[in-house]
Amino acid sequence: MTGTVLQDPAPNGSARPERGPGGPSVKDSVLMVGTVVDLELRQRVRSVAWYVLLGVAALVLAAVTLLLLATAGAFGGEGGDQVVSVVVYLVLLLGTLVTPALSGAAVNGDRDAGTLATTQITLVGTWQLLLGKFLAAWTAALAFLAVASPFLLIALVAGGVDLGVVLTALAVTVLELGVIAAVGVGLSAVIPRPIFSVVTTYLVVAALSVGTLIAFGLAGLAFPRTVTSTYTPYSQSSYDDQGNVVNPVCDAPQVSTSQSPTYDRVWWMLAANPYVVLADATPSRWSPEGYPDDSFTSVKAGVRSLQIVQPTEQVTDECNPSNDRPAAQPSQRQIVEQTVPTWFVGLAIHLVLGALCLLAGARALRTPARRLAKGSRIA
Amino acid sequence: MDDSDGIVVTGVRRSFGRTHAVADAAFTARPGRVTALIGPNGAGKTTLMLMLATLLAPDAGTIRIAGADPVADPGAVRARMGWMPDVLGSWSSLTSRTTLELTGRLHRMSKPAAAGRAGELIDLVGLGDLADRPTRVLSRGQKQRLSLARALVHDPSVLLLDEPASGLDPEARVELRVLVRRLAAEGRTLLVSSHVLAELEEMADDAVYMQAGSTVAADRLAEVRGRTRTWRVRAVDDRALDAALAGSGATADHQGRLVPVVDEEAAADLLARLVAAGVRVTAFAPAAGEFERTFLTLAEEASR
Repeated sequence: MTGTVLQDPAPNGSARPERGPGGPSVKDSVLMVGTVVDLELRQRVRSVAWYVLLGVAALVLAAVTLLLLATAGAFGGEGGDQVVSVVVYLVLLLGTLVTPALSGAAVNGDRDAGTLATTQITLVGTWQLLLGKFLAAWTAALAFLAVASPFLLIALVAGGVDLGVVLTALAVTVLELGVIAAVGVGLSAVIPRPIFSVVTTYLVVAALSVGTLIAFGLAGLAFPRTVTSTYTPYSQSSYDDQGNVVNPVCDAPQVSTSQSPTYDRVWWMLAANPYVVLADATPSRWSPEGYPDDSFTSVKAGVRSLQIVQPTEQVTDECNPSNDRPAAQPSQRQIVEQTVPTWFVGLAIHLVLGALCLLAGARALRTPARRLAKGSRIA
Repeated sequence: MDDSDGIVVTGVRRSFGRTHAVADAAFTARPGRVTALIGPNGAGKTTLMLMLATLLAPDAGTIRIAGADPVADPGAVRARMGWMPDVLGSWSSLTSRTTLELTGRLHRMSKPAAAGRAGELIDLVGLGDLADRPTRVLSRGQKQRLSLARALVHDPSVLLLDEPASGLDPEARVELRVLVRRLAAEGRTLLVSSHVLAELEEMADDAVYMQAGSTVAADRLAEVRGRTRTWRVRAVDDRALDAALAGSGATADHQGRLVPVVDEEAAADLLARLVAAGVRVTAFAPAAGEFERTFLTLAEEASR
């Protein structure tokens, strides 16, 4: 506090900065959100630890790319398509592991640091503040995608890559990371303590990625259906020169029942799994023999095959092979073509979840506050 | 400027569950003056500040900050009000300069205007050498200066300062006092809360006392202030002083003699009498500041 005189002695003088107390324009809102993003990226994200993390991600992606290309070389393929699907899956994995930590303390971390209230009393609106924090967390998550881009380029050069697959996979990954950023930022405004909001965000991610698998597996096992197997053996009396049976005598059919999991009733549970969404959304790539050509298509075919209802009756008649009713064995390509795509349902569920979290966050952040969460201090 | 430019609070109430943090607050802080907000810990000062700062909605009552209602139109209040909270938060990775620039931009200033204003404020609060280092290296007192600068970014006409002097060294306190007086002289309304009553005494024109969530009514204040006060007197020769004070009910402590007087008029008469009696007086002043005496009397009555 030196003796310098204030540059603007009159509080209502003309040197006052321009600010329209009237209705804020769209341009004004965009500027505000931009300022919050700028602030967040400078304060929260850009740190040495962050760059180290990105470096580690780059090393992992480089190693995987090299290994996959070497494998493809050994087996005589181009390998670019496998690289793309594995690299994008890895980015989704890393992104879902890091984004909760980046976004889950965006609001309550500021409250703990005593910087939330001083931001709220500026002219920034509640939604502008929340959206700025969301966009900053999303941008930070997308840095992993940026790190992955050289390896995707290597894959393109290696050949065998369908540009449609790359673009679809990237688009879905970008959206999924945005959903996690939205969930994290929203929960950080609703839950008072940063540690709990970060953990809750991780739990949401885990529920979608692993929880859907567990629920699917358990539900399939919990409600099995009875499968009846009929086996008709025969007794032979003699063989001819070639060793074929002559005059077989059919024995009594043996009927047995067993319990079989009913995955065809619960396959939809997997629709909300982000990895399934990613695989299901990308265009299929088939080998001439009808086998999947990349990991996305393999996952898609595997998940889609669960939709097919398994027969409840199996007949194995060794006596009269024409009575045999073995389970149909369509190719994976046929399975995918016969079954229902689910990715848009899963993606819609995720987007709604993210939007709801942001909405709840905006409600919790509203000022002047009428209700306070227990134990929360608004400054 | 009329009263609508300052702070007008009537019948404000706010509870958290069963705790009545503010039960009944009513006061006016006028432009061009520094108003002290005085009260013991837990009297509701910070809750009241949060309501004035548009962060907390009152359960009942009305508030006007520079003519605007913080509940109905928080944006209008925020454009005209600066708040320095008692919690010292700063964006630890950012420099002081960036902090002030970004705060300016959040007040809808253009980038160059915000940068210019940040430079002015860094000079004003004396953060010059540290302006371009991350705020995490700042000491408590330096963060205090940054917090004050941040409250001034948009050149507000109403300033709410919650414990602005805590953590400041004596020199910085003097500088703060000079700055606060200058801000008031420029026509701003300042509301300052502090525990350091002597500090407030030197910078404030008016005082609002809070007790158990309520502001103390004007008639009760007048009554408390009208009571007999104590003056401290010292002289070169104690014996001559004691002789002249005989019969006045004076007592002694390690710093001199304490004499009860009714009001300032009576104090002036006493001094004239002592000088006339040939006592060589070296010190003659109220034993406690006005704020401190009122505060202590109110606290004493409340605990009875």
